[in-house]
Amino acid sequence: MMSTEIAIRGVRKQYGRGNKAVAVLESIDLTVAPGELFFLLGPSGCGKTTLLRIIAGLIAPTSGRILLNGSDVTDTPAEKRDTAMVFQNYALWPHMTVLDNVAFGPKMRGKSTAYQRQIAFEKLRLVEMEAYCDRKPNQLSGGQQQRVALARALAAEPKCLLLDEPLSNLDAKLRSQMRTELRRLIKASGTTAIYVTHDQKEAMSMADRVGVMHAGRLAQIAAPRMLYQSPAGGFTAEFVGQANFIKGRVNNTSPLQIETAAGLLVSNADSRFQVGAAVVCCVRAEDVMVLPDEDGN
Amino acid sequence: MRLAGKQLGVYAAMLGIVGLFAAFFFYPLYLSIRTGFVYDGRFSFYWIGRTLGNSILTGKLLNSFLLAGCTTAAATLLAMPLALLSARRAFTGRGALSVLALVPMILPPFVGALSIRRLLGQFGILTLCLERLGWLDLSRQAPPDWTGAGFAAVVAMQTLHLFPILFLNLTAALSNIDPAYTQAAQVFGAGGWRRFVRIVLPLMRPGLFAGAAIVFIWAFTDIGTPLVIGYDNLASVVVFRELARAELTGRTFGLVFLLLSSSLVFYAVGKLVLGRPIGVDSAKASIAAEPPRLGLLGTIGAWVLFGGVIGLAALPHIGVILTALADTWVGTILPERFTLEHLRFVLTQPETRTCIINSLRYAGTATVLDIAVGAAAAWIIVRKKPWGGRLLDTLLMTPLAVPGIILAAGFIAMTVPGSTLERIGPLGNPFWIIVIAYAVRRIPFMVRGVSAGLEQIPETLEQAACNLGASPLRAVLTITVPLIAANILAAAILTFAFAMLEVSDSLMLAQLRVHYPITKEIYAQAVSANPDAPHIAAALGVVGMALLGGAMATAGLLMGKRLGAIFKV
Repeated sequence: MMSTEIAIRGVRKQYGRGNKAVAVLESIDLTVAPGELFFLLGPSGCGKTTLLRIIAGLIAPTSGRILLNGSDVTDTPAEKRDTAMVFQNYALWPHMTVLDNVAFGPKMRGKSTAYQRQIAFEKLRLVEMEAYCDRKPNQLSGGQQQRVALARALAAEPKCLLLDEPLSNLDAKLRSQMRTELRRLIKASGTTAIYVTHDQKEAMSMADRVGVMHAGRLAQIAAPRMLYQSPAGGFTAEFVGQANFIKGRVNNTSPLQIETAAGLLVSNADSRFQVGAAVVCCVRAEDVMVLPDEDGN
Repeated sequence: MRLAGKQLGVYAAMLGIVGLFAAFFFYPLYLSIRTGFVYDGRFSFYWIGRTLGNSILTGKLLNSFLLAGCTTAAATLLAMPLALLSARRAFTGRGALSVLALVPMILPPFVGALSIRRLLGQFGILTLCLERLGWLDLSRQAPPDWTGAGFAAVVAMQTLHLFPILFLNLTAALSNIDPAYTQAAQVFGAGGWRRFVRIVLPLMRPGLFAGAAIVFIWAFTDIGTPLVIGYDNLASVVVFRELARAELTGRTFGLVFLLLSSSLVFYAVGKLVLGRPIGVDSAKASIAAEPPRLGLLGTIGAWVLFGGVIGLAALPHIGVILTALADTWVGTILPERFTLEHLRFVLTQPETRTCIINSLRYAGTATVLDIAVGAAAAWIIVRKKPWGGRLLDTLLMTPLAVPGIILAAGFIAMTVPGSTLERIGPLGNPFWIIVIAYAVRRIPFMVRGVSAGLEQIPETLEQAACNLGASPLRAVLTITVPLIAANILAAAILTFAFAMLEVSDSLMLAQLRVHYPITKEIYAQAVSANPDAPHIAAALGVVGMALLGGAMATAGLLMGKRLGAIFKV
């Protein structure tokens, strides 16, 4: 399986013109390393699915370029980009069997019939669905459909795998099981993957790196732990994990001391602030220890 | 207990609907074929065998199949690009063009056939134009008949009239396909043509079958167009001529049986092969479908395609309007003088005025009957989901597979002189048998139209009303009915329009002039020797077109793309 670097350069997307223009993506710059499992995380309407569809070629950007392994594919039609997408509702073609669905990608790419079957079975075996190859999609459960959709994408041997909230239609228990499974399968394939989700647990437990999106912009790109421990801004801190926010003013920079309504807080963080700067202190829930008041007041 | 009582009411209503259907659909059908199985007072396959052994008759039956196949194929080829453009691309004027594409339906094909002869016949406008241009020399060669040898003319007229049914069906089917399916295929490397062949076409199969079945059976059993064009080599025409004879024999009903069984076999095989439902989990699109917008060149192309087809399909209409307004029109490209006299004549003369009023009475009463029975049936099937609901749904769709002339033959058999129902037969006052014949054959459209509306209104809306204290009836009346009013009205308008256009039942069941509807009067005028008859027939056609044009436009505006759901079978 090929590993591809995905580069997004200054991508902008706007709908409508003139007064009615609405920008859904603003100057997105991003590089996803070969073999990386990259997550786009953000609330509904932040533009993450639009960005994924732009990478797939299903939507044209208003400006900016998409590069796969350094080659500009911005004007290449979706069918010639060699990407594979797992859709939110899986989009398994209801008139085809599981095997036909999975063999579709290699077929479209001109592979021999024998190879189509071989790779389809191989990928179905990988997702433990080879016993269902003669069934139609509507005879499968949600979890099974999800596996077939993944097998279909992998069988196409794409340059990159694009996953649009593939677990959102599953129940909580299955979703939790599938997270580990999905990461294992994607990493085993070695394909570069971009995974869109609004579920922070999914992103934090599966991603190599996460891009947090807010109002059409990338608010922060970092590894999950980094994102959690050192959020770059209030939005990331609030969206990823639980936190308490206390407004205050810097009164000393070394050590960093903040005057707040709750009293003087001391932080180990590197000070980027001047004395007197208005700041917000973010305290993760697990960092707040609650002790009995020995004075009894 | 209360629940059981409610269910009892539903089953009683179902039984009532089935009873009505048995009395006015299956019984006449049984009568129409029964005589074909009686020979020498005993049950026998004699007449069937004789019909099958008659190579002329079987030849005509095969020719009917060929004709219907050609019409269906031609109508599909005409409708498919238009439907693809209408459902999958956005361009300026798309809505208006989609409504205009329905225009051909407002004129029965046999009326159009009258004018097409004036346009394309031996001394028609085309020949005269070519002679004027010097491309034809009529002093040296016989004037060519551009309508072909009858068969082609019938196919052309039927195609131009019927393609809008397929257009509506295909547009609705395409709109229902989740765009994620085609996008998935695109991402996996399928280009435009492959996406169409491998994904779109199979997914729209049931819609294609629904439209094709209506067109095929319509063309297979049409009698108006071949009669006016003078093409007799068809089984339907033989049946019509046989039934028009004073003395009916087993031979007639044997042929009726073959025509009916051919229709049913075609319908059943088609349904089995093409009409099987595809196991789509949800009809709702998973992603917003924003059709790509065509650029300037694309828009011009779309306009040319739509304009070309609509223009071609409107030729008969233009011909009918010109003929209706022509004072004298002999041997010239356009009428020498125009007059409103023919229109005034048909609106003021007792005979022609009576036929317009008759048509309105027949079609209006049939529509009211269809609303009452069809809407109730749809509500039971969709909302109550009783045991046997699907069977009831299939039952209510069967009239689509039954040729009009055969049902008419059944009604004739039901009301033969000497029978208890003689008084409402063709020679008595056939008001009720015509109304029932119209209503029965159009009930599928009403059931489908109302079902489509009900399926789009979540049941939870009614449940929310009940939860807040509304009785079930009040919930239906205050929540559901207003929400599906457009569907009911559109289905009613369409039912009315098709009843007004009805040819087979009208030609056979209205025997006395005082009971003629418009279509029969037009036919009577068309075959009469009166020199003014073509103008009068055309003027009646214009009146019909005005009535139906308004009805179709209203239905189109009310239901938009959902109009196609009415033609699902």
